[in-house]
Amino acid sequence: MKHLKSFNKKAKMLDQTTSPDEVEEVVAMQSVVGCTSTNDPGWEVDPFGGLGSLCQPMESDLYGCADACWWPAQVPDTMSSQPNWSMDVPKANEDWRKLEGIFPEEQK
Amino acid sequence: MNISNIFKTATLLCAAGAMTLMSGCAANQAASVNGMAADGHEYLLTVTRPNQLHVIDTETKQVVRSCDVPGTFGTGAVQPSPDGRTAYVLTNGAEDVYGFDITNCDITFSAKQSQNGEKVKTFISLAISNDGKELYTVQNPTRKLNDRYEVLSPRLAVFNTADGLDAKSVRNFPVDRRITKIMTMKNGEVILGGADIKAINPVNGEVRVLSALQNWARGADWIPPDAFAMFTQGEHVGEYIMPYFTIKWNGDPGDMEKAEFWWGMSRIDIATGEVDERETVPFEFIVFNWITDPNDSNILYGAFNQLSKHDLSQNKTVDVIDLDHTFYSINMDRNRTIYIGGTSSDISIHNPDTLEKIGSIQLTGDMSTSDLRIARLL
Repeated sequence: MKHLKSFNKKAKMLDQTTSPDEVEEVVAMQSVVGCTSTNDPGWEVDPFGGLGSLCQPMESDLYGCADACWWPAQVPDTMSSQPNWSMDVPKANEDWRKLEGIFPEEQK
Repeated sequence: MNISNIFKTATLLCAAGAMTLMSGCAANQAASVNGMAADGHEYLLTVTRPNQLHVIDTETKQVVRSCDVPGTFGTGAVQPSPDGRTAYVLTNGAEDVYGFDITNCDITFSAKQSQNGEKVKTFISLAISNDGKELYTVQNPTRKLNDRYEVLSPRLAVFNTADGLDAKSVRNFPVDRRITKIMTMKNGEVILGGADIKAINPVNGEVRVLSALQNWARGADWIPPDAFAMFTQGEHVGEYIMPYFTIKWNGDPGDMEKAEFWWGMSRIDIATGEVDERETVPFEFIVFNWITDPNDSNILYGAFNQLSKHDLSQNKTVDVIDLDHTFYSINMDRNRTIYIGGTSSDISIHNPDTLEKIGSIQLTGDMSTSDLRIARLL
């Protein structure tokens, strides 16, 4: 982050969250929800800048990303928050259409 | 001939040919457990969604038995006991461990790790002592308070397998954060795969470094390695093996024109504790895991989108074939047959010499991040 300068309010908040003082919170989230803290490229581009080394097809990788909470922003975290998300779909490559999106619960 | 007569005839046959048949009769009795071939017969173990442990005969390539695992799917980590009879499965969101008798699916052991207000997650980490009497997990506990989570220190937990159902840990020792795959060495120490590879004595908690990775002392010309410590391999040749990626700059850090990109490995002989840490082959494509050829320790096989064969003596990839889809895990039986699993619902079977696909095992659900372990049933 030393080469990036935050300008707007959101960027400054992001900067604050990555300050050394906040490391314990990152550790906490990793421990609590079991999520990775890696920042690998993900499903968009592979380490060589192409697509050939991405998981193929993405359905093969879908549960591997959910069960280990590897990409908690892209797929539901089945380790802690959404354990029943895919209970009725044992094979993602056959029945991925049955998998539904996850939305925040409404406050009552 | 009634059943009684058949039994008598068989007994007489054994007695009559004592010199030639006694060993055969004894072997026949010992060679089977609950109808399953034993005497070291190899079975492949893996877990699929929604949550089933599958026992696969490596000779017939058929699923012998599927056991329902309590709770929701965990990460599919499996640890066979030294006698191959029990498969310990991490389940229920990576919190609980259940031990299954693979010959009949009976649950012989269970441990609910979240206790006393603590939420405990175990990321992959399962290992068992050489005598099968102790099970080891690395626990990552947190406590949910009214206004915040309290993060507690990770620890190695030791369970007595004889405690059976609802077992509680009998000893705990502090360990580093970020521990994933672990394995017991012949001297009883447990290898801890994390930022560095360490070994802990599960009797007194003493820890020593086996292979420094994040803290290696190579200077600014190398970047600290990025190791991938999921999935347990190496039991077929008595080793713990973990791939890593690194860059050698050959000049100014960040100068990609001069940089060399390397795969490397940390390979530990579990009989001697000897560490083989070195760069292996140029980083040209992705592998998730490696296994060593039992006939030649210079030969590695890797799997991901391709199945690859590497010769460490030449630092070269000598053969590559495309796979039907992405796979995470790879293992090998004593006949050197390669099994590739994880991700979807099929295990791909390959010839180690040609890498040719020679078969496939269809399962009832996706393996996701599950292990592919070999149990030798005694």
